Amino acid sequence: MSDEFNIKNIAKLASINLSEEEQDSLSNDLSIILDHVNALSDLKLNSQQKEIFIHPLEKELELQEDEVVESLTHDEAISNAPKSKDGKFVVPPSME
Amino acid sequence: MDASNLSIREINSLFTKKELKPSELYSELFKNAANTEAALHAHLTLFEEENIKKAIESDKRFSKGESVSLLDGIPIAIKDNINIKNYKTTCSSKMLSNYTSPYDATVIEKLKEQKTLFTGKTNLDEFAMGSSTENSAFGLTKNPWNTAYVPGGSSGGSAASVGARSSIAALGSDTGGSIRQPASFCGLVGFKPTYGTVSRFGLVAFASSLDQIGPITKTVDDSRIIFSSISGEDIRDATSIINNQIDIPSKKTATIGVIKELMEDGISDDAKNEVNKVIEILKSKGYKVKEISIPIIKLSISIYYLIAPAECSANLARFDGVRYGLRVDGNTSYEMMQNTRAEGFGAEVKRRILLGTYALSAGYYDEYYGKALQARKEMIDEFAKAFKDVDYLISPTTPTQAFKSGEKTSNPLEMYMSDLCTIPANLAGLPAISIPTGLSKDELPLGVQIMSKPLSDNSLLDFSEIIENEVHFDRQPKGWL
Amino acid sequence: MSLKPTIGIETHIELNTNTKMFCRCAVVDTDEPNISLCPTCLGLPGALPVPNKKAIEYITLLALSTGCEITSKGMFHRKNYFYPDLPKNYQISQFDLPVGLNGELEIVINENKDYIQIERVHMEEDTGKSSHSGSGRIESATSTALDFNRSGVPLVEIVTKPVISSSKQAVAYIEELRQLSIDLNISEGRLEKGNLRFDANISVAPEDSSELGTKVEIKNMNSLRSLERAIDYEIQRQTKALEEGVEIVQETRHWDENKEITSTMRSKEGSADYRYFSDPDLPNMVLSEEFIKEVETLMPLLPKVQREEFMSTGLTLSQSNILSKSDEWIKKLYVKVFEQTKDSVASYNWITGELQGQMRKANIEVLPGWFNENYLSEIIDLIKSNKISFTSAKIILTEILTTDITPSKVAEQKNLFQENDSEKISEMINQIIQENQDIVDRIKSGEDKLVGFLVGQLMKQSNGSINPGMAKELLLKELEG
Repeated sequence: MSDEFNIKNIAKLASINLSEEEQDSLSNDLSIILDHVNALSDLKLNSQQKEIFIHPLEKELELQEDEVVESLTHDEAISNAPKSKDGKFVVPPSME
Repeated sequence: MDASNLSIREINSLFTKKELKPSELYSELFKNAANTEAALHAHLTLFEEENIKKAIESDKRFSKGESVSLLDGIPIAIKDNINIKNYKTTCSSKMLSNYTSPYDATVIEKLKEQKTLFTGKTNLDEFAMGSSTENSAFGLTKNPWNTAYVPGGSSGGSAASVGARSSIAALGSDTGGSIRQPASFCGLVGFKPTYGTVSRFGLVAFASSLDQIGPITKTVDDSRIIFSSISGEDIRDATSIINNQIDIPSKKTATIGVIKELMEDGISDDAKNEVNKVIEILKSKGYKVKEISIPIIKLSISIYYLIAPAECSANLARFDGVRYGLRVDGNTSYEMMQNTRAEGFGAEVKRRILLGTYALSAGYYDEYYGKALQARKEMIDEFAKAFKDVDYLISPTTPTQAFKSGEKTSNPLEMYMSDLCTIPANLAGLPAISIPTGLSKDELPLGVQIMSKPLSDNSLLDFSEIIENEVHFDRQPKGWL
Repeated sequence: MSLKPTIGIETHIELNTNTKMFCRCAVVDTDEPNISLCPTCLGLPGALPVPNKKAIEYITLLALSTGCEITSKGMFHRKNYFYPDLPKNYQISQFDLPVGLNGELEIVINENKDYIQIERVHMEEDTGKSSHSGSGRIESATSTALDFNRSGVPLVEIVTKPVISSSKQAVAYIEELRQLSIDLNISEGRLEKGNLRFDANISVAPEDSSELGTKVEIKNMNSLRSLERAIDYEIQRQTKALEEGVEIVQETRHWDENKEITSTMRSKEGSADYRYFSDPDLPNMVLSEEFIKEVETLMPLLPKVQREEFMSTGLTLSQSNILSKSDEWIKKLYVKVFEQTKDSVASYNWITGELQGQMRKANIEVLPGWFNENYLSEIIDLIKSNKISFTSAKIILTEILTTDITPSKVAEQKNLFQENDSEKISEMINQIIQENQDIVDRIKSGEDKLVGFLVGQLMKQSNGSINPGMAKELLLKELEG
C-alpha cells in the first residue's frame, strides 16, 4: 500500500530539481498523505464497471467547425519569452 | 455617504437617480484600499489610473441615462489566477511574477461588456492550492475581522477585499472550497456555481474537473447578479454547459436535508450550532427538515487529494521557463526546466505535483487515481439519490472558525481536513453557497453551506436569500468603518 | 540459425485541415516563426483545448477506409512528458479508446497482393519545431530555437501489428498508406514536407520460434529509400549480433542518412512513464451512427478498388498498382483514353511511359489546356492502323505537347504517314535486294538473323515511312519466292 516510493524518481518525472532537505520533507509529507488516502482501498464500490466520465455532469464532447479564428500576434506570442532570437524562443540545447 | 457597504442593486439605484456617481464610489473604495491594504494585503496590484478613466466614462453614461447594466460602474476585485489582458497574472507564484497576460478570460470579457470596473488583482494561495492564503509567494493576507487570523483560501485576497470594503464584490475560484471557505471566514456570501455553468477559459487551471469561478459578495442578491453576468456556455471551454436552469421549490414546499456525516466528529460545536440555528428558523417557517446520510462523504478528502493533485500535476507542467515566466538557467533544457520549477514553485505546490505524479505513475494508477475516479462516480450517484429525497442539503461550510496564521502549517493533512465540508460539491459538480449566519465566541464569522442538484443555481440562490433575510447577519466587520 | 525479421510501423499523418486540432489557429506552411498562435497552442496559463470536427471526420474516414472498428465512445488522454517543443509538457492523445481498431491495408508488390493488419488509429496533436544551433549536430548544439506554428496541428497515428516481414513490404505499406491519405483528401502526403512520418520497430527471431525477439525502435527515416535501407541495415545488425551470441538491447536507434547505419540515441533509462489519464478538459467523445454514416458519404474510390477497376480493363496487378498511385489526372486520362481506344496496354504504356517521360524531359508539369484524351487516342489509332510508326508517334507527341495541333495534322506537315502501298514497298524491296545481294544469299543459306538488317536498310531508305511489320512480311515473301 503506502510502500516505499522513490521521491527522486517522482521528482524526475515531474521535472523538479529537489534539494536533499526537500526530498526528505516532501517524502515525509507524501507518506502522511498517502496513509490517509489509503482509506480508499477499503472502499467496496457499489457500481459495476460502468464507463467513466471525467465530466461530473457527464457532458459529451461538442466538435467545432474547422474555421480560422485569429488570436495572438507574433509580438504578443513572444512578449513574455525569457529569451528569444529572430522570432523564435531560445532555450539551452535540448537532447532528442 | 458610505456607499461601499451597499449592495449592487442599491448602488445602481443611486447611480440611476444621480444621487451618487461611479467615480465617487470608486474614490471611496480606493480610499478604503489605501486605509486597509497595508494591514490586510488583500490586493497584489491595484488598477488605479485605468479605473479613474473608466469610472468617468460610467459617470457619463449614467448622466445620459445610458447605463448598460446593473454592473456598470461597479468595482470588483479579481483573484490573480484569472487572466486580464495586458495585466500581470501571477497566481501568487514566483513562477509568474513577471508574466503579463495577452488575453482576457471569458468571465472578464463578459464583465467588460457590462462595463464593470476591476479594482485590481487579489492575493491567493499559490496556484489556488491552499486554504489560508499563507501559501502565497507574495506575503500573507489577513482577515479583516481580526488580523491575527487568516482570511481563508485560496481566494483569501478576494474575501479580504470585500470584507474591508475596498471592492463591492469579488471573483474567486473554487476547487475544493476556495470561494466558500474564505467567504465563511470573512462573514461574506461565497457561491460556487454548478460545474460548467461558468467558463474556465482564462482561469489558470488547478484541477480541471473541479475548478469553477464564482462571486464573493456581501449579499446573496449580489452573487445572483454576478452569476447571471458571468455564466453561459463558451465555445472556448469544452467542459462548459448550457445554463438551462432547473427550478426546484425554494419556498414552503421545499425539503431540506442535514448531512449527518458533516455534523459529527471533526466539526466544532460553533459550526454545528450555526446549522442548528438555521434549521430551527426553517422549521419555524414550515419547511420540512430531515437528516440525510451520505456515507461516502467521509472519503471526500481521500478522493479529492488524489484527483486534484493528479490533474494539477499535468496542468502545472507547462510552467517550465521556455515560453514565459521565470527561467533559471541550466546547461541543457532539461536542467533549465528542473531548476526553474524548483525555484518557481512553493512547497505546497511541489507537494501536490509530486503527489499527483505518483498517483498517476506506472503501477500505481489503478490503486490510487483509478480508484478515486470510481469513488467519485459513486459519490455523484449518492448525491443524485439524495436529491430525489430532498431539495437542499445543508451543512457547516467549515469545521471551525478562521484559524490563526501559522496554526495549521506544520502538518499538510491538518490543512486538508478543513476542506471536508466543501469538497463534496466540487466532486459532484453541485452548486453550493456559503452564507454568513453568526459570530463565534472569538467574534469571528461563521457560515452555513447549502447545496442543491446540478443546474438549480437560481433556486439555490432564492432559497439562500430567504435564509439570509431571516438570519439578519450584521454585514460589517466592526472597527473598520 | 535461420532468423526471420518482424517489423511493425508507426506512422503519423498530418491532416490538411484549415485549423489546428485543439484550437482554431490556422495550419500554416511558412518559414516565419511563431505567427499562428493562441493561448491554447502556446500553452499559456488558463488556456483550454476545443476539438476540430473536420479532423475527427478525417480520422474516422481513414479508420473506415481501412476496415477498422470505430470506437463510438472514445476519449482523449494526456500523455505526460517534458520537452521544450511540447508547450503544455503533455500531448493530448488517445490511449485505450482510440477512434479505430483492428483494420487492414491491402498492399501490392509487383504481381502480389498482401494485407497488413492495423492495430489502431488514433488522434493526437503535433509539437512545435526545434532547430539546434552550433555545429548543426544535436550533440554539440549550443542552443535550441523553437517555432510553435506546428504545435497543435492534427496528427493521426496509425500503428500496424507486427506483421511486416521485409523492407520491401514496409515500403509498399507506406506507399499505399500515403496514396490512401491523398485519395481520401485528408493529407497532401508529401514526405519531404513531413506530412507523413514513420518509425519502425524491428526484431529478429529464429524461424521456428513462436516468440518475437527484442524489439528495437528506429527513428529519423525521412524517405522511402531511408526506410528501406534502415530496415535492411537493422535486420542485418540484429542478425549478426544474435549469430555472435550478443544480446539485443531494447532501445531507440537513430538512422544516420550519411553513414547509412543505425546508432544508439542518447540512452533513456527504461521505457518512459507517460502517466496517461483521461483529459479532464475534454469530455467523452461520442461518435453517433449518424456521424459515421455522414463520414461514409465522403468515401472516394479507394486505391484497392481502383486497382480492381483498372485490372478489369485488362491491365496487370502491377500496372494497376502504379496507376492507383499516380496523380489524379493520369488516372482520369487513362480511363478516357481506354474508353476511346479499348486498348488498355497501349493506353497504359503511352500515358505512363512516353507521355510522362516527355513531360519530365521538357519540364512540363501540367498538360497544356488543349491536350486531352482525344489526342492520345488519335495517336494510338494511327499506330494501330499502320498509318504511322512508333518513332513517328513519339515525334508527334513532342509536337502536340507544345503546340495546339492534332496528331494527324502533325503527321501531314512532317510527312510522317507511312507508306502502306504494297506496290511501292515492293519496288523498294527489290532495290534493297539488288543492293545487298550478298546478304540475301546468306539469308537464303540459313542466316535468318540478317533479315532484320535488310528491314533496317529498308527503313533507312524510306526514311522510316514504311510500316516495319508490313515491310518484313513482304521482304520475307520476296526472299522465299
